[in-house]
Amino acid sequence: MAETFLRRLVPGREGEIIVGDLREEFAFRGGGRLWYWRQVLSCLAVRISPHRLTAPDSRQDFHYALRVLRRNPGYALTAMVCLALGIGVNATVFTMVNELFWQTLPLPQADRLAMIGRTGEEMTCSYRDYIEFERRTAEPAGRLFSGLAAFDGMATSLDSEGVSQIVMAQAVTANFADTLRLPAQVGRWFSPEDDRPGSDPVAVLSDGAWTRRFGRKMSAIGQRVRIESQWYRVIGVAPPSFLGVSPPHAAEIWIPFTSQPYVRELLTNAGERERPKVQLIGRLAAGVTLRAAEAELTSVDAQIRREFPRKDASNGKLTAAVAAGASMPAAREVAATIATLLLSVTGVVLLIACVNVANLLLSRSAVRRHEMAVRQALGAGRWRLVRQTLAEGLVLAAGGALLGLVVGVWANRLLARSLPALPHVGKVNLDLTVNWRVAAFAAAAALVSALLFSLAPAIEHARPNLTLSLQSEARGWRRMRQRDVYVVAQVALSLCLLIAATLLVRALEHARSIEPGFAMDHRLAARIYVSEPEYTPETGKLFFARLLERVRSTPGVQSAAISYGTPLNFGDSTCSAVDRAERPRRTGSDIVTPGYFQTIAIPMVRGRAFDVTDRLESPAVVVVNETLARRYWPDDNPIGKTVWLGCDVKGPRTMAEVVGVAKDAKYGSLEEEPRPFLYRPLEQSWVGFVALIVETAGDPGAATASLRGIMRGLDPNLRVYEVRTLEQYAEDSLWKVRWQASLLGAFGLLALGLAAVGLYGVVAYTVAQRTREIGVRMAMGAQQADVLWMVLGRGLRLTVVGIAIGLLLSAASTRMLRSLLYGMSPLDPVAFAAAALGWTAVAMLASYLPARRAMRVDPVAALRWE
Amino acid sequence: MSEQNLGEFEQIVLLAVLRLGEEAYGVPIRREIEKRGGRSVTIGALYSTLDRLEAKGCLTSWFADPTGERGGRSRRYFRVEPQGLEALARAKNVLDRMWKGVRLA
Repeated sequence: MAETFLRRLVPGREGEIIVGDLREEFAFRGGGRLWYWRQVLSCLAVRISPHRLTAPDSRQDFHYALRVLRRNPGYALTAMVCLALGIGVNATVFTMVNELFWQTLPLPQADRLAMIGRTGEEMTCSYRDYIEFERRTAEPAGRLFSGLAAFDGMATSLDSEGVSQIVMAQAVTANFADTLRLPAQVGRWFSPEDDRPGSDPVAVLSDGAWTRRFGRKMSAIGQRVRIESQWYRVIGVAPPSFLGVSPPHAAEIWIPFTSQPYVRELLTNAGERERPKVQLIGRLAAGVTLRAAEAELTSVDAQIRREFPRKDASNGKLTAAVAAGASMPAAREVAATIATLLLSVTGVVLLIACVNVANLLLSRSAVRRHEMAVRQALGAGRWRLVRQTLAEGLVLAAGGALLGLVVGVWANRLLARSLPALPHVGKVNLDLTVNWRVAAFAAAAALVSALLFSLAPAIEHARPNLTLSLQSEARGWRRMRQRDVYVVAQVALSLCLLIAATLLVRALEHARSIEPGFAMDHRLAARIYVSEPEYTPETGKLFFARLLERVRSTPGVQSAAISYGTPLNFGDSTCSAVDRAERPRRTGSDIVTPGYFQTIAIPMVRGRAFDVTDRLESPAVVVVNETLARRYWPDDNPIGKTVWLGCDVKGPRTMAEVVGVAKDAKYGSLEEEPRPFLYRPLEQSWVGFVALIVETAGDPGAATASLRGIMRGLDPNLRVYEVRTLEQYAEDSLWKVRWQASLLGAFGLLALGLAAVGLYGVVAYTVAQRTREIGVRMAMGAQQADVLWMVLGRGLRLTVVGIAIGLLLSAASTRMLRSLLYGMSPLDPVAFAAAALGWTAVAMLASYLPARRAMRVDPVAALRWE
Repeated sequence: MSEQNLGEFEQIVLLAVLRLGEEAYGVPIRREIEKRGGRSVTIGALYSTLDRLEAKGCLTSWFADPTGERGGRSRRYFRVEPQGLEALARAKNVLDRMWKGVRLA
């Protein structure tokens, strides 16, 4: 029994040797069972000795695998490139997903930084509540945080020495940099004195702003920049890696929270406990967990509410999470849908690549059947052969992963360049570099792919059919079948991607054809800003009047007007009610000058548009759209009716008379449903941040320069942020679907390419296998065309089956895209048909190349073969 | 690779293999160590050391034809390689140098 146990313990030849030794000695000693058992047990040491564990066998496997691949560089390279493409695009998309969800801020001990949010709310709490939170939970009095800071981000105007731009700014409390342990690259961050109402306004620039606006000069410190109407003195520059705490939006500038004029106004107003609102970020004190922080904050929140009761308190619960990835819940939501879509798409691309490699390995295994059979005959175990195949797969996958990371780095660069620019907040800023997490992901992807694509050949090799394989004429029709299944799967999967991409392209076209309800062509908008102290509302209105007069008299200008919003880009809302007692309802709103409706070609359905008689001192008037008119006066003429404007029931509200009804239009986005909207005259509600909208006779782009000239002529210091055509604004608003369409298009084409290579490979293989048969047929009188059709037919049969399955799969899965289709059906027949036809064309080409080779088969040479 | 240091037991095993010359396989190696070293050695410890020495390149082994007395099982013979000799010489030198001028008690 001991002997059996020993043989189990040390298998193979080594075991035999030891058993032999023991026998010999046992006989020599003349017995001693106990002794024997002790010897057997001591062999455990042999079994677990480290150099046996590393199994010289498996090292041999890898050695052998490397040798095989080195001897077949073409085969190895093809497989690795296929894998590299698959792994590369996955790594790239994963880099982005990592940045959007898991990447912590580039700060020391960033995993201890907690974002405090409130469920269902954009902002966490009011500034006054933050002061209470800070006092009760942060050191020195509290024990939860070593620092708790508040911030608020906004898209705003930033002007410095001749550069006016809409940028992201962050207003932060004085302890912001300390809490984050954020150094200044130049100068300093804010001191507590800087964040007191009444102090001299100061600002810290981002590295980018410092470079673009001040050419990285030290003299930037002390320079003045302007946000809205207030000037700030630059006191520091943030490190290059720090782009604010709201990725993926990069902040251009930071200012102390209480330096904002509106904040100062609210804070001097003792009744305003609810505003201004802030978000919180804290550094957890040593030993404090996120869960403990959340629980403690919730109880402090309840305390504060008890002490300072309020009327419209939010029911949201406080949440604490490590500050990582996109911080805003809305941004995360958008990112999540995009990420799911892209990851599933690149997953499919990788799958197709794997199938390609599996196909390649299968055809190799046909070639190597002989070798495998010989090895098996010489005593290699079945498991040994499987291991050999897996080792080859792993070597290929490792090569693929390394190459894939190279592809990934390159694709990251491409992606970084094509990141979409969002309306108002500018270009999405993601640090798309390959880090350890991405590398780990690529490795995992490679491992999974290696298992996937070596499975079939491994099983194939393990099949014990020595005699059959040792005959060289063995024709594995089974293997042929398997390869067919692979090709069909590839066609089906890549067709799905192609259909999805085609759908998005169609949706983009469809969106462009949506009637916006106003005219976009030949229209230009210039965003300008007049504010105190240069302008008062009175002088501002005078300036606008002069500006409009000058522009209207310019040759080539048909009409011009001024509005607060820009259609499909920037808008505002207010509240309206027909009855003073009624609860006000959200209503889209715009502030416009006379001539606006004409310039933008929104027809008046009833009543009149604004005119010069609507002055500040005359009765307040509004123009409403059809939807609003229908909502309040379904069966009545709205002209002459009154509406109450303003959201605060307790506060003062304006009563205005409806003088006109304008046709419905699209205001915020092309896919929006008709919504209530109202217009107010600029004369009666002053605003200085406006768009000058100009209708031109010719190309609106050509009018840009002269428009800028006119504005500079009237006021050399006028702040002009952008001059764009309305068509450009509309195009911008389609960023999400356009971006997805381009990414999906790229991935779809890649998938198509990979699958076409797969199809080509299978058809070419068939031709190679059937060279003799083709030769015989031709010798028997088959024409070249017959041979051509025989081969083409084979490729096409596979394609047709693949397309059929692909269409079914797509029909089941394109629903995922519904939110991007602008109301188009996810089963759009045109997209389905176009993609299927496209694939068929590619399939024809992929099969034609081997078919041509088949046609050229010389019957004599083919028959002599063997 | 060449600058390998040997443990005491490794030295003993190598020396036993050297002493046995043509006859170095499991059973005599163990007897040699037990006889001269005055210590008993389990077969497991012996083979794991032999395997290790082989992995280090100090030894090579080969399988002889099966014999009747072992129930038809073959023997695994060992031979010390130049690398093993070098390592042994080095070990001896180190010990000699260390012992020079040292007197116990």
